[in-house]
Amino acid sequence: MGFELRDHTADVAVAATGDSLEAVFEATADGLAAASSDDIPPETGERFSLTVTAERREALLFDYLGELIYLRDVRAELPVDNRVESIEATGAESDTDATAWSLEASARGVPLGAVDAREVKAVTYSEMRLESTADGWEAYVVFDV
Amino acid sequence: MTTYDADGITLERVREYVWEIPQEGDMRVPARVLASEALLEQIEDDKTLEQIKNTTHLPGITDHAICMPDGHQGYGFPVGGVGALDAENGCISPGAVGYDINCGVRMMRTNLTYDEVQGREEELVDSLFANVPSGLGGGGIVEAGVDTVEEILARGVDWALENGHAVEDDLLHCEDEGMREGADPDKVSQKAKDRGKNQIGSLGSGNHFLEVQRVTDVFDGEVGEAYGLSEDQIVVLIHCGSRGLGHQTCNDYLRKIEQQHEGLLNQLPDTELAAAPAGSQLAEDYYAAMNAAINFAWVNRQLIMHRTRQVFERVFDRSWEEMDMHLLYDVAHNIAKKETHTVGEDGEERELYVHRKGATRAFPAGHPEVPSAYRDVGQPVIIPGSMGAGSYVLRGGENSMDLTFGSTAHGAGRLMSRTQAKDEFWGGDVQQDLEEQDRIYVKAQSGATVAEEAPGVYKDVDEVVRVSDALGIGDKVARTFPVCNIKG
Repeated sequence: MGFELRDHTADVAVAATGDSLEAVFEATADGLAAASSDDIPPETGERFSLTVTAERREALLFDYLGELIYLRDVRAELPVDNRVESIEATGAESDTDATAWSLEASARGVPLGAVDAREVKAVTYSEMRLESTADGWEAYVVFDV
Repeated sequence: MTTYDADGITLERVREYVWEIPQEGDMRVPARVLASEALLEQIEDDKTLEQIKNTTHLPGITDHAICMPDGHQGYGFPVGGVGALDAENGCISPGAVGYDINCGVRMMRTNLTYDEVQGREEELVDSLFANVPSGLGGGGIVEAGVDTVEEILARGVDWALENGHAVEDDLLHCEDEGMREGADPDKVSQKAKDRGKNQIGSLGSGNHFLEVQRVTDVFDGEVGEAYGLSEDQIVVLIHCGSRGLGHQTCNDYLRKIEQQHEGLLNQLPDTELAAAPAGSQLAEDYYAAMNAAINFAWVNRQLIMHRTRQVFERVFDRSWEEMDMHLLYDVAHNIAKKETHTVGEDGEERELYVHRKGATRAFPAGHPEVPSAYRDVGQPVIIPGSMGAGSYVLRGGENSMDLTFGSTAHGAGRLMSRTQAKDEFWGGDVQQDLEEQDRIYVKAQSGATVAEEAPGVYKDVDEVVRVSDALGIGDKVARTFPVCNIKG
């Protein structure tokens, strides 16, 4: 359980596994951090919380990763050591209810001045997979670099 | 008929360097790949061909979806993809423009020769690196509030002119004179503006860079003269885009379109191609937001160029005007534009959203949208190469309107993944080799970026340009070679 960075011609892909939906989201977010930096300082930075809602499970993963990238730019911190506290389906999955799925998470924000990091521009839907398996969950996400 | 079999996809040769994937299944038109066999070999095993096929599923796609000679696997649309979608009955797709809206390049001339720069390279690269923000969180040349961001979004380089970061002549040598009509800052989200306000005038990281180059070859003397290029001359090339503001804008509209146009999305093989039907509110809103982000990117490159003038003034102790540091041209390579083209067998004139993702507009001589300074010779096209190879200046070719909706390649095109590049190269070694073997001085925020952008990870830019020239879509004018390079 965890993540691997996978080859992609122009960009970077993260393949992640987890024994729960929370764990696979968390591993994918840590993959995003690893795609941004090879050398994440172990102690630096304060933790912050975030909440994301979306209409579908895959959209929730997309928006969670997108929110981490947004927060990186506006907080000037690289989100690392991601923890997904809970993912809840608040109603029937629907393409119109933007709050059908919700997520509570936190991350340690390493100030960008304290880490050798490069810019991951965005999360993409290209080749995205989020699937349950016999052992839990698997995700595959391509990031635009 | 000559065919080329590439991992389950068969391409039929139409003529030299033009290959076609015939229409089948839900494809609305055939796909075309413009490549030599050597270039085809480099994309036969990845998803480039599948992605250009997928692009043909977009409603309103006209004539062909086309992959340029430097094309390679991207997300949704391949990098190097051109898709012309009917602006009345078709659609517009943020993913087919890309996250980095108006990622592009500009070249600035100088009257310095390589002799005058030799021996000053380290001072120059250090000064550029210290004065041009790069990397993640490096800030921007202008720190501004949201009000300023909104002015930039609405007015583009005109804002830079009013605020002392540009001269009139800069506007005359930029695509659309540095301002897209129809840009609406209100269609750009607060989140995008918040990301952009600290990044105005910054390179970012990845494959973006600022490079001082020397002109090594001028292949076409007449056009070279019109562009103000001569052998041994020093020029500056700047490659970057709309930073977080553009990335967020693409992200925002991709999600809105996914939510509001599910019916269209269900016809597409890849969610990343999500598109808003022409005439819908979201299509109009995205076009207005994208145009605003285009303006932001032009200002970004303008500020970096103007700062570079100031750095040269300090290093060479004379004014930038004395060094004749004028913009040759600025051209976008991630963009969608409403353009009128002659299409189909009947030669009908139609308005199209021409999506160029990793492709450059290359209008030929005489086209009314080529700036008057270059209308007699054709639009300059700037093709950046890797750190260890040359870059090229082309001019829009006579055949570009017939073959590619007035487009050509945008660079060398990646060959090797970033993860593999980091396994094979070490940034420090790459930097040292470039300096010792080629006298190219590189300075970067991150050693990993140098490894990921090592010359060996790119295709042979010479081959890409040779094919463009042979097809007559972008003709060779001049070649440049790096002297100093700064990157994130």
